[in-house]
Amino acid sequence: MSALPGDAAQPLLLAPGQTHSTVTETVSVISLHRHFGWYWLSGLAVALALCSLLLFGVGWLLRQGVGIWGINMPVAWAFAICNYVWWIGIGMGGTFISGALYLAREDWRSSINRYAEAMTVFAVAVSGIFPILHLGRPWFFYWLFPYPDVMNVWPQWRSSLEWDFFAILAYLSVSILYWYVGMIPDLATLRDRAPTLRTARFYGFLALGWRGEARQWRRFESLSLLLAGLAVPLVFSVHSMVALDFSEAAAPGWHSTIFPPFFVAGALFSGFAMVLVLGIPMRRMLGLEDYITGRHLNNLAKVMLAAGLVVTYGYFSEVFSAFYSMDRYELAVVLRRLTGAYAWTFWATIVCNVLSIQLLWFARVRSNAIVLFGIALAVLIGMWLERFMLIVTTLYQDFVPSSWGMYYPTFWDIAFLIGSMGLFLLMFLLFVRILPVVSMFELRKLVRKGEGSTA
Amino acid sequence: MSSLSGNSEFASGVDRAQFALTNGRAFWRSLEELADSQAFQQWLHHQHPQFAHELTVDRRRFLKFIGASLALAGVTACSHPPQDELVPYVHSPLGQVDGLPRFFATTLVREGYAQGVLVESHMGRPTKVEGNPEHPASLGATDIFVQAAILQLWDPDRSQTVMRHTDTASWDDFAAALVQRIESCERTGGSGLRVLTGTITSPTVSAQLDSLLRRFPQARWHVHQPAGNANAYEGARLAFGAPRSTRLHLDRAKVIVSLEADFLTDSAGGVRYARDFAATRTPESTHGAISRLYVLEATPSLTGGMADHRWPLESDRIADFARRLAQRLGVALDVAGLPDARQSHWLDALVADLQANRGASLIAVGPSQPPWMHALGHVLNSALGNVGATIDYSTPVEKVPDADRGIVDLVREMRAGSVDTLLILDCNPAYDAPADLNFAEALRQVPHMVHLGLYTDETGALAEWHLPLAHQLETWSDARAYDGSASIAQPLIAPLYAGRSVLEVLAMMLEDGVRDARAIVRRQWREFFPDDAAWNEALQSGVIANTALPSVVLPVSAAALTLATPRKADDASLELLFRPDPTIGDGFWSNNGWLQELPKPLTQLTWDNPALISPQLAAQHELASGDVVELHLAGRMLRVPVWVMPGQAARSVTLHLGYGRRRAGRVGNGQGFDAYVLRASSAAWNAGGLRLQKTGDRHDLAATQHHFNVEGRDLLRVGTFAEYQRDPHFANRNNPSPTATPSLYPDYPPGEYAWGMSIDLNACIGCKVCTIACQAENNIPVVGKEQVQRGREMHWIRVDRYYEGTADNPRTYSQPVPCMMCEHAPCEVVCPVGATVHDDEGLNLQVYNRCVGTRFCSNNCPYKVRRFNFLQFTAEGETLAAQRNPEVTVRQRGVMEKCTYCIQRIETAHIEADKANRRIRDAEVLTACQAACPTQAIRFGDIADANSSVAQAKSSPRTYVMLGELNTRPRTSYLARLRNPNPALPEENA
Repeated sequence: MSALPGDAAQPLLLAPGQTHSTVTETVSVISLHRHFGWYWLSGLAVALALCSLLLFGVGWLLRQGVGIWGINMPVAWAFAICNYVWWIGIGMGGTFISGALYLAREDWRSSINRYAEAMTVFAVAVSGIFPILHLGRPWFFYWLFPYPDVMNVWPQWRSSLEWDFFAILAYLSVSILYWYVGMIPDLATLRDRAPTLRTARFYGFLALGWRGEARQWRRFESLSLLLAGLAVPLVFSVHSMVALDFSEAAAPGWHSTIFPPFFVAGALFSGFAMVLVLGIPMRRMLGLEDYITGRHLNNLAKVMLAAGLVVTYGYFSEVFSAFYSMDRYELAVVLRRLTGAYAWTFWATIVCNVLSIQLLWFARVRSNAIVLFGIALAVLIGMWLERFMLIVTTLYQDFVPSSWGMYYPTFWDIAFLIGSMGLFLLMFLLFVRILPVVSMFELRKLVRKGEGSTA
Repeated sequence: MSSLSGNSEFASGVDRAQFALTNGRAFWRSLEELADSQAFQQWLHHQHPQFAHELTVDRRRFLKFIGASLALAGVTACSHPPQDELVPYVHSPLGQVDGLPRFFATTLVREGYAQGVLVESHMGRPTKVEGNPEHPASLGATDIFVQAAILQLWDPDRSQTVMRHTDTASWDDFAAALVQRIESCERTGGSGLRVLTGTITSPTVSAQLDSLLRRFPQARWHVHQPAGNANAYEGARLAFGAPRSTRLHLDRAKVIVSLEADFLTDSAGGVRYARDFAATRTPESTHGAISRLYVLEATPSLTGGMADHRWPLESDRIADFARRLAQRLGVALDVAGLPDARQSHWLDALVADLQANRGASLIAVGPSQPPWMHALGHVLNSALGNVGATIDYSTPVEKVPDADRGIVDLVREMRAGSVDTLLILDCNPAYDAPADLNFAEALRQVPHMVHLGLYTDETGALAEWHLPLAHQLETWSDARAYDGSASIAQPLIAPLYAGRSVLEVLAMMLEDGVRDARAIVRRQWREFFPDDAAWNEALQSGVIANTALPSVVLPVSAAALTLATPRKADDASLELLFRPDPTIGDGFWSNNGWLQELPKPLTQLTWDNPALISPQLAAQHELASGDVVELHLAGRMLRVPVWVMPGQAARSVTLHLGYGRRRAGRVGNGQGFDAYVLRASSAAWNAGGLRLQKTGDRHDLAATQHHFNVEGRDLLRVGTFAEYQRDPHFANRNNPSPTATPSLYPDYPPGEYAWGMSIDLNACIGCKVCTIACQAENNIPVVGKEQVQRGREMHWIRVDRYYEGTADNPRTYSQPVPCMMCEHAPCEVVCPVGATVHDDEGLNLQVYNRCVGTRFCSNNCPYKVRRFNFLQFTAEGETLAAQRNPEVTVRQRGVMEKCTYCIQRIETAHIEADKANRRIRDAEVLTACQAACPTQAIRFGDIADANSSVAQAKSSPRTYVMLGELNTRPRTSYLARLRNPNPALPEENA
């Protein structure tokens, strides 16, 4: 990363004094020996409670129909789609760190890419439930798949929803693959250091017979390169497709060419915010401050700032193009976003996504983990509100004033939102407990390069 | 949607009874044991009295009965038609072809007056009502109540058995009891016998009543019709010395003045009047001028919405205006004081216009105005030479009772203890009698009360004997239309329950040997139809030829006007107006889900009746729509929410009757507020001295439209007639409808036909019969108030209403919006599974089976005509299933639906045309909305055929498409609305 003013005292990527064995020891101990205390257990309890709520909600949804939510005519999409876009956006963080920075040979990604990728997989998985559950008849979701139907019925290829279906599937499979492949050497390490036979068998099964031979390493490296090369275009395609779910429509406020880059930037923005929100408490609780250092937080904050500025440009451009075109309907949507019944979501979005990140210009802010955590949290909230603003303020008042209507969320709308957070949290807590949260073999490479030695 | 299920109600009822009884754990070993329980028996008596009767006879038989019949309650619907001979309409070939519907001409009666209808019957199962083109009150169209009658027929809440107090009984039990009553009447000459009915136009019932009064000379017949024509008949008595019926000939009128006359929704002739009125407004067919309508009214009506000049005036000040008008027109009347400047200005213009159109003008007076005003109306029409031209008179169409035979006189006699036996036939005075009479209390003085009604309603619950009334579609009868034309009503189905008709009950009283309804009607018309051929012909055509009452020429006595004067306007206090509800009427239709959920034409509200207040009054009391107020009137009080009604006269508060029912049935119970609580017999339509007090409470109202400002968008195009004459293409001047702007997608190749629709906004009066006709035809579910509040109503064609101008007196416009059937449909491109596709005849199809419910199509529909089944709106297992149109899929939850241009009707026409190896003829396919429309505002057909009526309509220079700039290329287009303001009132021309 290029240095910003005030970056003179760059912290290191690794704390001083780290060797191959200290790295391996510290990380593997977390999975193999660490006693997880009350905070992990209480986190698990919260996650399980929220998951139960989600599960109950899904059951109720399947029994009653999507009418349990507040959606209506004209606002036929609301929370479910907001949640979907939000979660899939968050997923971008991990892929970008592990894929794009890998291809760019940015070494600082090494200690954060594992949990960031895990975050991606979980977020995409969570996001994937919403497009299915939001269907009126979710049990027929597979009709979007071009299977050889006896009636010769095919999907409708002009619809962006169809392409989005494939984009999500491709993205999810490549993310899982990339994450898993990248973990294999570390799983083998855990197998080798396992205290009991059962644990060894467990990790041994997952390690797929990794022996650390040079031949395996060579194949591993080329596979990683290939998958990174696949994953990076996929992040762009998936978020562009998500954007097209809206901009394909003729609706004012959606029908905009800036949406694909705008959504990609928004995804990067919220993805990095989530990496910070997860990483800051995790490195403290698991004692990983030696590996996830101030330098990482600093770099993450800078990327977040850059993405946030692109997003800010997007907001500006929408308002500008409405006034520039003076199109009656575009203008009406923009004015409603600024002043209508849901104007608070717009202004809250501006505060969270535009104003709060301006603090990141200051190095002192970037080096303060607690403030960073707060800003990242605000960005996450802001990005959810932004999706709500984009979706609902377009739908609730479009072309024909007689059909204008309001949207009010119901209990179940809220339940699905916090329930999805519970599901994500549950998966992440289990990941932290079972799998290596930091890539040991990549840290060892860093040690070899001399990072962290007395500089 | 409330569950309307008969049999599932049974199952849950058993559970309820069981748990209510045991209050804990109790097991029953067998159905027999369960059926023995007292709680079950009580429940059974309450819910299914007809079976409870069986139970008292033989429990084991009853259980078999449950297994076979109750579980299949809906199947009773499929009972065969009566064994009597029925004559199908000419539409259908002789003999039944299985699977094809047959149409029978019959008559439906609303508030006594006949509407000729054709009823579609599928294998003996009536499913849909259409207007009868040969009937003078219908001309093929209907009003909303006629459409809803079919739902009433299948209403599972209808009274199903004879009840003696709270016990079930049988018709035989009643007959036995009746013998005693008749014996006692014979002893006294019937001095204690009173018969109470609603408005009667039926020649047969009239004759029966006459016979009854001959048999028991001391007996009396009383009429109670909560929103009837009593004022008009009294007015005729004043003017002519005898009650006379008034008929309007709007098609001949060039200048129409309505003094609170909402003739477009008149209960007797509204459908016909709407057609006649629209005929004077279409510049393409009138060639030259179109008529001009002035409306003075206190509370907005559909007629007011069509006015070129609508002047809001408190109801009690209209008389004053009319008096000044009369004076200007040369009628000798004392008028104190001078009119204010505004009224004077109106009068100048109005008088000039009327005098320029002598013999072609019309002054109509509404039933809510006092008799004196009706008399004045007759005087004015006579003075303007309109009598015999735009208005004429006949002997009364309805059976008019003597002056002292209203409900007031009945209650007085009841309280005096002089009524021994009271026969209430098809009316509900315990609910809808004026509050000051306290009918229910007076009823305690009557030892024997017999109630014949469709429901065990408020009155039925108090009756010694409650008798279930056969529905109009279940029995023979006859009735007269607004012009006196008589028609026979023939049954479409055997009575679903144990119902009998008014005719049959009167026959039981008469004991004249003929007890069968068909025989009674046939006997009545024996002289008219000596042989069966003529009788059959009358049944087939649905109207008896040459029975319209002849026009009578009557001298008008202006002197009568000095005898009575209307109440002086009290400018200081508020006035409370009582009006029948636009969709529920006087309460008779309360249990009808279609009507409850049909948005009230002027407020777009469903399921409720807030008090309408003026914007001025709202500002004065700081009230917003939904705020609850207390209305105090003459010591009585009603808590009711308000609705701020643009165009309401400043001091007028309007309450709609028909809500606040306690025993309407599961749909109507507890909805809205009972306006009858404030209604006094002396002030039935208009009461002064109202006091309004804000409470601070709120009430949730369910409206289907929330935004009435068109926001400057040219969705609805309006011009004046003068503009039209200058430039007939005015509607497209500023925003030409693009016919084919470039598109990335190629055009669809033309098919055999190109279906399209044209909607004439100049003809549309906004009555919403299209909405309810579509609901009946297309199996559209009722979703209930809560779902409407959430914005989930399912109507496929809605009627939008927009205001223009000031809130005090805005101009009102209606715009029916069905699917636009875009040639480049935005919905089609976004569906991932191809559930909405285009066909080669230009229809935008929705394939329910394929729909997964992404709802993207609705988001992308600029017209928002798509409707989504957010929940399972169509209850499973309800008895109402029998009403459904078998040609239309009943939709599952989770699928999108929308207007199809009645594709089932198009396909039927295709099959018929293919069989005959010909093309589909113009007007062979009528969509449900088109068929029902009283003003023929909707045209449908093949737009590729230049001679089709729709292509002709679309060739008008007024044609435009909505949101054409989006390049959706809609197949549904509109004809711009025209106003015809008086050039002498330039301030109202803008």
